[in-house]
Amino acid sequence: MYKFLSHSNIFLFIEKILKFINSIFFVVLAIGLTFALIISPPDYLQSETVRIMYIHVPSAWIGLACYSTITVLSILNFIFKIKNLILVNKSIAPIGLLFTCLAIITGSLWGQPTWGTWWAWDARLTSMLVLLFFYIAYIVSLKTIKNKDLSTKISSIIIIVGSLNIPIIKYSVDWWNTLHQPASIKIDGTSSIHSSMMLPLMLMLLVLLLYSAMIFLMKYKTEIIRIKKKNIKRL
Amino acid sequence: MILNLIEMNGYGLFIWLSFSISILACSIVYYKTKKTLMKYEKEFAAEIEKLSNYDKQILLDNSKIANQVLATNNKTA
Repeated sequence: MYKFLSHSNIFLFIEKILKFINSIFFVVLAIGLTFALIISPPDYLQSETVRIMYIHVPSAWIGLACYSTITVLSILNFIFKIKNLILVNKSIAPIGLLFTCLAIITGSLWGQPTWGTWWAWDARLTSMLVLLFFYIAYIVSLKTIKNKDLSTKISSIIIIVGSLNIPIIKYSVDWWNTLHQPASIKIDGTSSIHSSMMLPLMLMLLVLLLYSAMIFLMKYKTEIIRIKKKNIKRL
Repeated sequence: MILNLIEMNGYGLFIWLSFSISILACSIVYYKTKKTLMKYEKEFAAEIEKLSNYDKQILLDNSKIANQVLATNNKTA
């Protein structure tokens, strides 16, 4: 099992997966965009602005999922001291930051025509902004602190403290009376979205997940090469 | 029909801006990530080339990664 998880095997596996994702990505993107921008009907209440949701909602989900993954891996690293987990976290964090930014920006672009404002200090919006700051703090701590052990410790603490914000983001719309509407898709799978809108949403989620996987694999590959390059100098 | 698609019932600016910003940001991140990866692959390949024939042979016999990076680098060169 451990042999399978060696850098060499992971590296070769990454090559294969990247080739596969590259071969299907643009087809899935074209289908996703066609459904999101052309085929799906306008909403009876939100009109055409509902199309922004097809990029906003998957972005927010991925931003949250990345943070949750980093939190779990940081805790595991604290307990088991597995170096690979730090590499995984380093590769996931920029993806989470990107999608959290996109969720906030596209949310703002949806808010202006719908709510009549670009921004409100609403519980959901504010907690997403806090998430963005935690991502920035995490990435800055990894990049600026030269001592590896110290950087791992501090970045893990930042992530674990920031993880308290995750349930706040998730339940902010239930706990407080917010401008942001409650979730239309629940964790238990129940949904109030019509299938004609659910399909483009899921297609766009698939597009963004494939993109995230591509970036993650390239970043992880870069980290492995960086380590191998350091080792070669010792020869 | 095309005009309707652009105008989106008066919300075109917000919708197209959302999709454009997202595509642009994703493209920039993809480009930067790819560029960094290629830079490291090139540097790693250059380090391998610098080794003596003996060390290089040992490395290539033992490291699948070194083989793969050299192969990729030779393809792009």
